[in-house]
Amino acid sequence: MFVKEGEYLFLEGDMATSMLIVKSGMLVGSSRQTHQRHPQNFGPGSIIGEFSILESRPREYTVRAAEDSEVIYVEQSALQNELEHKPGWFKATLSFLASHCHAAEENGKKGKIVQSLPPFLFLFSKHLESSGSDYIPTALLQKKMLVLNNTDPADTDKLLQILEGIGLLKVEGDTVRVSSLQIVPMLYNALRYRALNKQVSPDILSITDQLVLTAFVKAVRENGISIRSGRATIDMELFKQQAKKTMFGSALTIRTLSPLLQNGMLQSDPTYNEGVALESIGSISGDFDKILDLLELNRIFPLLDKKLV
Amino acid sequence: MNGNSRQQVIPPTHSRVKAGFVVYSPDDENRALIILDEGELVAVDKRDGNREIKFRMHPGDIVGVASLFEREPFRYTLEASEDSSVTILTEECLESELKNIPVWLLAILRSLSVKTRQLKESARTTSVENSLKSLAEYCARLESGVKYPIDTVVREFNWLTRIPAATIKGDFKALARRNFIGFTKDGDNLFMQVHNATLLQIYSDYLHAYDEGIPWEPLRLSTAQKRILVHLTTLEAGVEMEAPEWISLLNERELPIDVAQWITLQDIGCFVQSTGEKFRVDQAKVEYYLTAIRYDSNLRGAV
Repeated sequence: MFVKEGEYLFLEGDMATSMLIVKSGMLVGSSRQTHQRHPQNFGPGSIIGEFSILESRPREYTVRAAEDSEVIYVEQSALQNELEHKPGWFKATLSFLASHCHAAEENGKKGKIVQSLPPFLFLFSKHLESSGSDYIPTALLQKKMLVLNNTDPADTDKLLQILEGIGLLKVEGDTVRVSSLQIVPMLYNALRYRALNKQVSPDILSITDQLVLTAFVKAVRENGISIRSGRATIDMELFKQQAKKTMFGSALTIRTLSPLLQNGMLQSDPTYNEGVALESIGSISGDFDKILDLLELNRIFPLLDKKLV
Repeated sequence: MNGNSRQQVIPPTHSRVKAGFVVYSPDDENRALIILDEGELVAVDKRDGNREIKFRMHPGDIVGVASLFEREPFRYTLEASEDSSVTILTEECLESELKNIPVWLLAILRSLSVKTRQLKESARTTSVENSLKSLAEYCARLESGVKYPIDTVVREFNWLTRIPAATIKGDFKALARRNFIGFTKDGDNLFMQVHNATLLQIYSDYLHAYDEGIPWEPLRLSTAQKRILVHLTTLEAGVEMEAPEWISLLNERELPIDVAQWITLQDIGCFVQSTGEKFRVDQAKVEYYLTAIRYDSNLRGAV
């Protein structure tokens, strides 16, 4: 079949049960679905629509002739006829290759979203730091993602949906807003630390540390303890009682408390030193907002793998 | 040839195997398609001295397709977990079969395997097309005047974008040639320093406009418009006036401007609407344009 330059062969989304082979000339395909930035050229020997003939899938591209061309259409009936005369393994092989290709495509799409997370967090955290505001216009974020990582705006949108789903941010009209200015930079730094040092970031806490800090936060809130200059101080007995409720029955011990005293997340009065007994500690204090941010980071961090990968 | 135009097909091998028999080992040099006709096979991962069953094959299942068509080695040992019957197609056997299929069907098989390989490859590589633009955008977010260990910066940027380290180093040199960044050495350690982060942002915007084929405003300003911009930086902050007042003020100061030019300056963001019909100067935007004009030759790479 001959097609004239500029003539359209089919449109993206058209139902189809055939494929075509370019015998001579040049066809050009464009797709809105795949957010292709550049049209794809199909020269002599190229085939278009293998999934239409194999699986009756709609056309992936809108295809027109970039120059006078000759094409050969192959109908699904020809494939079925050929497969009828082939051993069973041949059909199974063809199906396997098609499904493998789909799987690679799906993995590629997922991979793109996963891979766009670090540049997204980098750009967003730098914007929050430099502007001091708690939001960024979505269009600006999309543009910067395109410039920095060539991330398609549709992929940035998908990533935003996922991150909104885990409570990291909120998409409000044309802006992306965060409830805490610290979480996005903390999350970026934790991921960066893991990638560059091949180690878990010190900000990613053990379950026990998280339980102790949760007990501290609850003790402060439920007992109406005032926060002075960002710091909250709680009586040790009160802390122990709260820990019993919050830590699923397990008691607060010096062993569970000491990692947080050693890394400075919590401070004791008198000052902690090795060998000190829990009974000798009168009170525990800590930077309340920092602890809340750290707990939020530790809530979100494991969700990233679950929701993204 | 067997009397017709078709070539001789090498038939596959059908075998009956006892439970425990190793049907395929990753050490085998010959690649093959293995189809289970009866019984059960298990795929065992024996790497690192372990023995982990990865999956079980049931009658009709087939393995080795990716190995034959996509050159992706099959990593597991296939063992019969009970007495089984298998069909084995060697590479030669498959090739002889492929010689007897129409060209278009062969083209489908090839296209599927090539597409899969390309998709896997692209998942491993960067999606960035203009690595210099990407690096400029990244550097625009570093603090001006601060020394950063080049090694750490390269690793971070590689992690962010998957651009290979060698390309990043080349792009750093390109930025240094334009005097956007500098290098210093302290002992064995090499550091990079951003001279002016705003300038790198301008450079990134310039490259982006070029890539997208859209006009880049700073380099399209007329001499008269440039003079107006310079004058705007001398005005007191917070001055608000309606458009006709701005036009007459600039004209009074011997900076001829008509309505069309006023609209152009408003369109490119130098004036922003504040209250009601009044406009104020966006000093940051004006400064951005003036910096771009001042460093025109650096941006074009003519330094």
